[in-house]
Amino acid sequence: MDNAIYVGLSRQMTLQRQLDVAASNMANMDTAGFKVEHLRVVTDPETAPHASAGFGRAAIKYALDNGVGRDFSEGALEHTGAVFDVALDGAAGFFSVQTPQGVQYTRDGRFGTNAQNQIVDHDGNTVLDNSGGAISVDPTKAAPVIGKDGTVSQQDATGHLNVIGRIGVTRFDNRGALSKEGGNRFSDSSGQAGAQTARDITMDQGFVEKSNVNAVVEVTSLIDITRAYERVQNLITSTQDLSTKAIDALGKMN
Amino acid sequence: MRALRIAATGMAAQQMNVEVISNNIANMNTVGYKMQRAQFEDLVYENVQRPGAQSSDTGTVVPTGIQLGSGVKTGTVYRITTQGSPTSTGNKLDIAINGRGYIQVQLPSGDIAYTRAGNLAQNDQGQIVTADGYQVIPQMTVPQTATDISISATGQFQVTIPGQVQTQQIGQLQLATFFNEAGLEATGNNLFLQSGSSGNPVTGNPGAVGFGTVQQGFTEASNVDPVNEISSLIVAQRAYEMNSKVVTSADQMLQTTNQMKS
Repeated sequence: MDNAIYVGLSRQMTLQRQLDVAASNMANMDTAGFKVEHLRVVTDPETAPHASAGFGRAAIKYALDNGVGRDFSEGALEHTGAVFDVALDGAAGFFSVQTPQGVQYTRDGRFGTNAQNQIVDHDGNTVLDNSGGAISVDPTKAAPVIGKDGTVSQQDATGHLNVIGRIGVTRFDNRGALSKEGGNRFSDSSGQAGAQTARDITMDQGFVEKSNVNAVVEVTSLIDITRAYERVQNLITSTQDLSTKAIDALGKMN
Repeated sequence: MRALRIAATGMAAQQMNVEVISNNIANMNTVGYKMQRAQFEDLVYENVQRPGAQSSDTGTVVPTGIQLGSGVKTGTVYRITTQGSPTSTGNKLDIAINGRGYIQVQLPSGDIAYTRAGNLAQNDQGQIVTADGYQVIPQMTVPQTATDISISATGQFQVTIPGQVQTQQIGQLQLATFFNEAGLEATGNNLFLQSGSSGNPVTGNPGAVGFGTVQQGFTEASNVDPVNEISSLIVAQRAYEMNSKVVTSADQMLQTTNQMKS
């Protein structure tokens, strides 16, 4: 009979974690390039076979969270007009940046330049081109123009446009395998994502991709989580009441 | 419960957002002010279950893993350097820059600052100075006898002196451009300093390729769009509320647990 309490507890633990994920979504409502996440809850496939409900009839199944699903759909594009703000079109591509921990990927295209005049992300990591090199701008020329295909060019004093590089775009066979590193970056730490150079993904200069968190959905799931938690709590209380009643009834001496 | 702390980071971020917005609204009528935006980034993740971790000894791997976020932080507050609209003032020494470029200003410390605020004036020696009395580079002095001053679109300062048919040129304004204007460091008083990310200044005459032109008798209004700011304020306030809703939910769940009968 105590199994009901343990099953309930397993659900409550996943609900607490679901609330954590919802809280993280909500906190990142304004984070550029953030992708909304949801906890996937399944019945535990590894519930021990002997944990049956008594009399060998129905097997007990606990609830288990077995992954965080990420919705990679495109966030709204906000116009900023800044020269080094770039937003990727569609949901497939990622910029790649060189961090001290290796190459990482991001949808956050708020770039700038460092002291060496290289294009860098907001944390100072160099933005890579398709061959993994940095892109250097010439400070004596006009502000760079970034084309739809990522080509960066600058006008010199005579009015000629010189191509100085092309911002690289990467797509993945399995985006779900990417892990998050904070700072709006993802990494392929498991090597399972299958990074490929994508030359067909377009981008827009002067735009920033907002987070794709939908506030209504998040608030609804918040209510959902709280109520589900209370529901399970009621189940646990009823189970306990059952035990109390049994003790009362069976324990009477006369 | 982690959700409480995550929501707290969300509320702190939105509070910062409101502060940036209120600074924009406060500077709505500041000459040459450029509006700012707070941008956020997610905090580090805790790997409860790493993506790609082995899930059995036959080599099967976890497809997505469980990574729990720990909230949000303010990444940057950056400046949107779009053109502000020119406002007619009728003052002979007011100039608005149409297009790219900053007026160079000599600070008392010897450093050079850059400004878009073209509400210039003369000091007691007739030198062209900013509203704070700092000299404009290159230095220009208006003769005491001058009766009128005219500034051309290409930045030539010319004065009319009684008894002379021709106007006399007292100087040529030079503008400085940076290709990453958003990277300039604001120091208050409408002044900016060069920073590591702004790049080096490139100077040139107004009207040259890549430089804006000068408009006499106008100042550049701030580029703050009140409607935009108010709607951002509403969004920030609602986002703050939603984060506080998370706190309430987490609190309710904890309360439910506390009321558990033993």
